[in-house]
Amino acid sequence: MSADVRDILDMERANTPEVTRDSFLATKKRNFERTKHASKRPEGMHREVFALLYTDKKDAPPLLPTDTALGIGAGYKQAKARLGMKKVRKWEWAPFSNPARNDAAVFHHWKRVSDDSSDYPFAKFNKQLEIPTYTMTEYNAHLRNNIQNWSKVQTDHLFDLARRFDLRFIVMADRWNRQQHGAKTVEDLKERYYEVVALLAKVKNQTSEKKTFVFDADHERRRKEQLEKLFKRTTQQVEEEQMLINEMKKIEARKKERERKTQDLQKLISQADQQNEHAANTPSTRKYEKKLHKKKVHHQPRPSKVDSVVNAIEIGSSGIKFADLRGSGVSLRSQKMKLPANIGQRKVKALEQAIQEFKVDPAPPPTEDICNSFNELRSDMVLLCELRTALTTCVYEMESLKHQYEAACPGKTLNIPPSLVPIKTEADRDQS
Amino acid sequence: MTDFGSESGGRLKGVTIVKPIVYGNIARSFGKKREEDGHTHQWKVYLKPYYNEDMSIYVKKVHFKLHESYANPNRIVVKPPYEITETGWGEFEVVIKIYFNDQSERPVTCYHILKLFQSPVVDGELTSSTTMDTKKGLVSESYEEIVFQEPTQIMQHYLLLSDQSSIGLLNHDTDFEEKKRKTLDNIVNVKQKVKGEIVTLKDRLKLARETIVKFKAELAKVQKAST
Repeated sequence: MSADVRDILDMERANTPEVTRDSFLATKKRNFERTKHASKRPEGMHREVFALLYTDKKDAPPLLPTDTALGIGAGYKQAKARLGMKKVRKWEWAPFSNPARNDAAVFHHWKRVSDDSSDYPFAKFNKQLEIPTYTMTEYNAHLRNNIQNWSKVQTDHLFDLARRFDLRFIVMADRWNRQQHGAKTVEDLKERYYEVVALLAKVKNQTSEKKTFVFDADHERRRKEQLEKLFKRTTQQVEEEQMLINEMKKIEARKKERERKTQDLQKLISQADQQNEHAANTPSTRKYEKKLHKKKVHHQPRPSKVDSVVNAIEIGSSGIKFADLRGSGVSLRSQKMKLPANIGQRKVKALEQAIQEFKVDPAPPPTEDICNSFNELRSDMVLLCELRTALTTCVYEMESLKHQYEAACPGKTLNIPPSLVPIKTEADRDQS
Repeated sequence: MTDFGSESGGRLKGVTIVKPIVYGNIARSFGKKREEDGHTHQWKVYLKPYYNEDMSIYVKKVHFKLHESYANPNRIVVKPPYEITETGWGEFEVVIKIYFNDQSERPVTCYHILKLFQSPVVDGELTSSTTMDTKKGLVSESYEEIVFQEPTQIMQHYLLLSDQSSIGLLNHDTDFEEKKRKTLDNIVNVKQKVKGEIVTLKDRLKLARETIVKFKAELAKVQKAST
């Protein structure tokens, strides 16, 4: 009821003030607000369903999303089209002449009365190319001799075409008078044209002003030939090529795989070598080996673990290989004395002990001589340590053999050579 | 005077220039703990040429990195003397990074343990030579050589220029010439000893292996007889 009353009041009010755009929109808005209040959801109807039915504008839900609905003017819903407030300007059917034409032809077009610029605006797009010209004497002096055997008439025809068609060589080649001048390709025309232009520029000393183009006709011909060939391949050829490319990829992949494998193998081999070396030095691995031996092959003569060390010593591969600081750049001399990173912790420890044992400055002033002899010394020290361990292992083995022997036949014994008996390192140190 | 031009980036094959330097610190005790901050020593860490030459000809700057507890621990010195004077109570490692005038030569880094206290004398224990001077205080410094392997042309130019500026030996607190000689002698001596021991050890090892073979044969014989 109240809504109706207000509606009536609104109508009354609408009659009195003048309807401006703003007031119109404002009242409309109020209308929407009111309707929103008015339409209530019937009991038992889901909110979602109601929302579908009744948007706040009581319109049907949009079938298509519109961008105008949210836009400034609210799209087509606006009551009136918003037009410019300027006065309407008149158009007239007026004659004009195109300065690009030289026949003074007059055409007509629509133009605004207020626009009184007399120039035809599109005339500026008429770009004229500067095609060089030559006189008879110039031709005879410079252009007569050419490898392609162009005659004066042919050249004239070429330049005429160039002027007429603004250097559109494709068109020029099409319009070329075959009957009179013989068949010429686009490349032939370009070659001759740019040759003449370059020569004329040179004669007239214009080289500095304008850029002279060099046309590599051979290259262009080959390029086109290639494109032609590429274009004219048959389906079979294309397939074959694809097949070959795939084959090549396969071969390369296999090659890479092989290289990787050999590298891995190399790594494994060098690792195994290092481990052998380690096995001789590291008590833990030795113990492990021993345990294995004890379990499995106790009675068999076990392979001497010192062998690998002894071999290494004999070959001379034992010791330390110091980094060779060759190459360019700045470095500190003391870097030369740094132990390489691949040396095991155990070796480093042994080396430290040896350095203390022999009372050597562990960080001597790094002159070249000192660096070299210090490195040699430490390499020797590592060898020394390895020898010592190897000897200890040997003596241990001898003693265990001796015990086995004594156990096997009581009363008898084996004699360990006296020089090997006092294996205490203290004694060794005293001797040396 | 010399046009290095485009070749300045190129390196001179087979050329090696060596610049000996000395770095270290001197430290003097206050004799007591300072009230306000607990500092006990004044010290100066430094880098100087071994020969008396102008290092700034080839050195662009020297970066001393102090312990992080110091206010702005990264100290940069752009001209000689390359030194930092500070007070403190503890020893720590000072990182000394030397930048060269030719940017294409990478900087080199020395590490110096700042010494404030005389440590008990152990032979061959110390990284640097520590001496106690009643006037100067405690000096701990190391000798080092910067090796320019195949320097760039411009770098060589700087290096030779600084050679020319050299006027004899600088007086150092540590007699490095003596130290070098002694160290080299010692190393050569020890090398002899080690070599000698290696020879005897090799002989013994050979004997031991032969003995092992012999023992094994004996043992096999006995074991065969017993079975």
